[in-house]
Amino acid sequence: METMEQFIHYFSQNSDYIWTQFYRHFLMAAYGVLLAAIISIPLGILIAKYGKLSSWVLAFGSIIQTIPALGAMAVIMIVLGLGTNTVIFTLMLYSILPITQNTYVGMKDVDHTVIEAGFASGMTRFQLLRMVELPLAVSVIMAGLRTALVIGIGIGAIGAFVGAGGLGAIILTGTNATDGTPIILAGAIPTALMAIIADLVMGWIERKLQPVKESKTTA
Amino acid sequence: MKRNIYKGCIVVMLLGMLAGCSLPGLASTSKETLKIGALGTSESQILAEMLSIMIERETDADTDLVTHLGSSIVQHQGMTRGDLDITSTRYTGTDLSGALGMEPITNPEKALGIVKREFQERFNQTWAPTYGFENSYSVAVTKEFAEKNNIETVSDLEPYAGELRFGVDNAWINRKGDGYDGFQETYFSFGEVFPMNVGLVYQAAASGKMDVVLAYSSDGRIKEFDLKVLEDDRKFFPPYDASPVIVNKVIEKYPKIKEITERLSGQISTETMQELNYNADVKLMNPRKVAEQFLEKHNYFEDTAKEGQ
Repeated sequence: METMEQFIHYFSQNSDYIWTQFYRHFLMAAYGVLLAAIISIPLGILIAKYGKLSSWVLAFGSIIQTIPALGAMAVIMIVLGLGTNTVIFTLMLYSILPITQNTYVGMKDVDHTVIEAGFASGMTRFQLLRMVELPLAVSVIMAGLRTALVIGIGIGAIGAFVGAGGLGAIILTGTNATDGTPIILAGAIPTALMAIIADLVMGWIERKLQPVKESKTTA
Repeated sequence: MKRNIYKGCIVVMLLGMLAGCSLPGLASTSKETLKIGALGTSESQILAEMLSIMIERETDADTDLVTHLGSSIVQHQGMTRGDLDITSTRYTGTDLSGALGMEPITNPEKALGIVKREFQERFNQTWAPTYGFENSYSVAVTKEFAEKNNIETVSDLEPYAGELRFGVDNAWINRKGDGYDGFQETYFSFGEVFPMNVGLVYQAAASGKMDVVLAYSSDGRIKEFDLKVLEDDRKFFPPYDASPVIVNKVIEKYPKIKEITERLSGQISTETMQELNYNADVKLMNPRKVAEQFLEKHNYFEDTAKEGQ
């Protein structure tokens, strides 16, 4: 139980520091996912429309996913240098697959009869996309963002190796210290909490955006 | 067609954001602050904090710490790329073979002279005078083991080496010149070698998980865990005197920083550094607090301004 006491002591002594790193860590993950979303959502829509591209794009995304994050970060560091940009770029790469895939699946899952009905009522392709397909797919797309954010928070912890700080820096400090368990916990617990909270919040938004919910009860 | 244009815009925007280095909320990307790089060790962070406190106190520059950098090579790359303005701890031996790619030199003064000159000429960086301590690699065993087998020097280990487990720093094992390859040439091989985070080796030795470890001589845990540092009788390890390194442009802009490093020089002995490291590594104090306490105790070395070195 001594560890617990030390943990509480360390936590209360360094709460400012932990909070700064927490905030920094979250921002890195959020920016990474946001930038990835800017690329991946249009990409997902594109490959849902032009089916031939889809296997290539998704395979490419999967390849990125297999590269160990630390290795990718080290290579990106050579180009982008030390600091947060490297981490954000890495997180963006790792977020591309879940977001693209979910956008693709979400768009594909839209009922064809609904699209045809929209088309028959004289909607242009853009109107169809904006008023029919996207609203129906949005909750699945959100699920992709949710996965990406949770992965991003996890990968962000190794950002400390390229000088970006974040909660990983606290964990690393702990591994350097003797009996550093309290410090490791002070870095790891907030990271885990952040991932859980992000998951819950994104899950809540996802449910809010679920369009089929009401229509299902009436149907 | 239209979508292509959109995508083009997005890519350009994205690159612009990354190159422009200004995502709101992430302070280290600002260009106005001096960035001080530090390794993952407590020592490096404590000294980085000291520099940061002194610089912010005596100049109008802001500082930002970039900590937990993987190795001195990462620090060096950061400096040459312009990501870092100052690195808090650079060791003569490490950078002689690392950044400069030269042969290890065992004479400390000669080594210091060479890195000073070479960094000035090749990289336009100033290798400041040493803090006064050295953090050399040293082979350590538990006192018990040393007494039982009557071991004083590294060579004394030779008859047992085949059965010993050797715990070493991740960064050391593949180093050219003064790494494990060189060690094997000068001394002998150990039965098994376990690369690990250097902070773990002390406890590993004390708890009997490792028989021999490669420790940092300025680490407070050598004392705490009752380890015995063996004499490097074949003079294999080069000197590792610690100094800060500063980009010349920064010195031109803030000449005071040079003065600060000169005042700090010679003030931190190996024993003092062991104590400071002990506070951070064993008492789990935050490096910033350790640095603050130390500087307050010595009145920010204001009195040493004139003595210089």
